[in-house]
Amino acid sequence: MASNQEILQKVQEKFADCVLETKDELGEATLSIKRECNVAVLSFLREDPDLAFDFLMDVCGVDYLEMGGPERFAVVYHLYSMKHNHRVRVKAFVPEDDPTIDTVSHLWAAANWAEREVFDMFGIEFNHHPDMRRILCPDDFEGHPLRKDFPLKGIGYRESFEKIERSNAQ
Amino acid sequence: MGIESKLGDNILTTTIDSFINWARKNSLWPMPFGTACCAIEMMSVLGPKYDLARFGAEAIRFSPRQSDLMIVAGRVSIKMMPILQKIYRQMSEPKWVISMGACASSGGLFNTYATVQGIDNFIPVDVYVPGCPPRPETLIDAVLRIQKKIEKERSLQYK
Repeated sequence: MASNQEILQKVQEKFADCVLETKDELGEATLSIKRECNVAVLSFLREDPDLAFDFLMDVCGVDYLEMGGPERFAVVYHLYSMKHNHRVRVKAFVPEDDPTIDTVSHLWAAANWAEREVFDMFGIEFNHHPDMRRILCPDDFEGHPLRKDFPLKGIGYRESFEKIERSNAQ
Repeated sequence: MGIESKLGDNILTTTIDSFINWARKNSLWPMPFGTACCAIEMMSVLGPKYDLARFGAEAIRFSPRQSDLMIVAGRVSIKMMPILQKIYRQMSEPKWVISMGACASSGGLFNTYATVQGIDNFIPVDVYVPGCPPRPETLIDAVLRIQKKIEKERSLQYK
């Protein structure tokens, strides 16, 4: 099992110009990278025999509208290695005016639906994704619910159904 | 309608009415429309300990065509609501609806963009069951209230 420092160092040596920041807090290793090299870094993490991150645990999105961050959105990948039992978190920041990033569904099959969920909830499009469409919200839903500027109570979908009256038939 | 209007409002029609109502209330066939956690409590009501079969609700039909009581147990999302309405329309008359739990009755804990704030805004509900989830005895009480409601119906006396 490689320690957090070893994992972060290996990636930093290979991709010095891609890595923006590394953090090792609370026992968790976090890597912030530029969004252009996300496929390169993630395939290295998967292929390298000492790292061998073969399990993509989650792909999630973050909206930094109220918190303030380097860009508006971030796509966060949580990886786990079943062989070596170590974990890493990889963050790629995505700007608001061009919310696209490359897909990693050719590396891990789990990324397919996880990226669809990020698209549905945040509106971040994944380039070359085999099936880029909404997964949780209805197909005709407009808007991306987990963005900070989307109201919690929604924009009217939950009231937009037809009312069936009680019939007097017996 | 036919012969009922000729018979009028007398002891014959009230006796037939009470017989029809007695038959209907003691053979309610529920359709469990369980979507979330309340469905687990509904399953325990249908199980051997809190037996619903002793009140006549023995045949649990998952088909709306073969049931007369729909128990909506659990939160109904915006994607599920049109399906619920379709299933409700597919049930044949007479039909009753129990809205089980806080989420089906009012949206419950989830005042969000994706949860319908009470199914009674869109389909007619007869009995509401409070609770999160309601105890099995509360659901049995709701079925008994539906039975009391059925007793008062007048199918033969043309209003």
